[in-house]
Amino acid sequence: MRRIIIDADKCKACKNCSVACMRAHAPEGVTFSLSDPQFESRNTILQDGEKQYKPLFCRHCAKPSCANACVSGALAKDPNTGHVLYNPDICAKCFMCVMNCPFGVLKPDRLTNTYVVKCDFCAADGSEPNCVANCPSKAIYVKEVE
Amino acid sequence: MKHVIIGSGAAGISAAKTLREKSTQDEIIILSADEFVYSRCMLHQFISGERQTEVLSFIPDDFLEKNNIEFRPNIAVTGIDTVNQMVKFDGGSESYDRLLIATGAKSAFPQIVGLRDTKNVYGLRDLEDARAIRDKATQSNNIVIIGAGLVGLDAAYGLLEIGKTSTIIEMSNAILSTNLDLHAASTYHIKFEEAGCAFHLGMKVKRVLSNASGEIEAIVTDHDERIACDLLIVATGVHPTLDFLSDSGIKTNRGITVNEYLATSAPNVYAAGDVTGLSESWPSAVQQGEIAALNMLGIETAHPDTFLPKNTIHFFGVPSLSIGQFIPEAGDTKDSREDRMRYQKVILRDGIPVGVILQGDISRSGFWQQLILNKVDVTSMPKSIWKVSFADSYHIDENGEYYWTMSV
Repeated sequence: MRRIIIDADKCKACKNCSVACMRAHAPEGVTFSLSDPQFESRNTILQDGEKQYKPLFCRHCAKPSCANACVSGALAKDPNTGHVLYNPDICAKCFMCVMNCPFGVLKPDRLTNTYVVKCDFCAADGSEPNCVANCPSKAIYVKEVE
Repeated sequence: MKHVIIGSGAAGISAAKTLREKSTQDEIIILSADEFVYSRCMLHQFISGERQTEVLSFIPDDFLEKNNIEFRPNIAVTGIDTVNQMVKFDGGSESYDRLLIATGAKSAFPQIVGLRDTKNVYGLRDLEDARAIRDKATQSNNIVIIGAGLVGLDAAYGLLEIGKTSTIIEMSNAILSTNLDLHAASTYHIKFEEAGCAFHLGMKVKRVLSNASGEIEAIVTDHDERIACDLLIVATGVHPTLDFLSDSGIKTNRGITVNEYLATSAPNVYAAGDVTGLSESWPSAVQQGEIAALNMLGIETAHPDTFLPKNTIHFFGVPSLSIGQFIPEAGDTKDSREDRMRYQKVILRDGIPVGVILQGDISRSGFWQQLILNKVDVTSMPKSIWKVSFADSYHIDENGEYYWTMSV
């Protein structure tokens, strides 16, 4: 499967990845604004105790704890691409996935708490994920992995 | 090899999926008491009308067919012959090479005078319960729910969505007392009351009264208070579904007794999920189903002996999560903070978190469970406990996957 590989040492926390993600997932017809809370990034950049930057991106895990915790089948691993995709239409909004993502990647949407903010690998675009395309320091890149 | 699975809940389906992933040839048969595969965690959304039966499933429509799994609905298993390796049910029997018992649990009704013989009294565990409640509720004016745990409040919440308020009787002095501390529970208590529900806490139901047709008319509390009632929902807990095992010789305690490989006392018979009494939530039933399946295939896999109570709660747009212990024991320390929108509390034992409650904002909080399971000393870190995250144990393997190490 294709995965976004992270080279944390190269991350300068410019957050171009986050802005790209927010823009890529903007609802159609809505003017993009960084200050509008309805635009949310699926990725984020954390800091450890030594202030080192640690990019937090959905891994589309081989054994996805989020999908295992899903009571509705809204989260499921695509057998063809290996990506863990989310269907908001059948989601029960219980947020068991949020609690069970071992790395703390998932979150409910900020404004309504009615859906899960989840990386979709920009699957609809069919090209490189927007975060990767916009990383100027090559801290993230796509690679075919087992 | 022929695998028979009894039950089509989280554990049974997860086992079938794992069996098929690991073996393309083996025969897989699911004997289910249900008419189709559905998620018990969403029945309140069926009551509310938010979800119809066709979207109660938790598997893709083509799952059974694509994986060549034979699904037999409406099968009431009556016994297991462990010598001849046969499952017996009304109208037939089925032989097995490996058997998985994943029959789950059913509503446990308390000992209340008159309860069993009275009409319009339901648990909330199966689709037929939810159907009956939905049908009755539209004509009911005095709905009473016994139990203010998650199931009881799910029922109350679903009923509010169709414009019906309930009176909720709870024997402990707080709602959601197995999930939340008083402070976090009060958030929901107030919201349910504002929506028109009434709570009677610290009370038990002593008797139920019925009319000439045998329909429920009122309940009487142990405070001798009479509360009118035309629909009673009993949500006082569950017990493992194992009555059909009585003549099988398979050992049981509270649930089916299993070893670390989820094998029962009978050869080639395994158990997983609520029927073992060892699964505390949906993901743990899924995990048990998977582990049992691996062992059924001869791939020896031990079940981790971690039992960590955990749940998420989401009513009125306010999400909460609760993991582990939320009441400090002697010697523990507590750290908490709150603002207008959020409440957060962690219990620490020698610097290691043993429990956490988060309410209002549960964003990116999944790492908490790992801090508890991996016994991470958070107080030795050079940052506030509220800033701790996966960044403080950041590891990436050669395939680009994150992982936790057992000590930090």
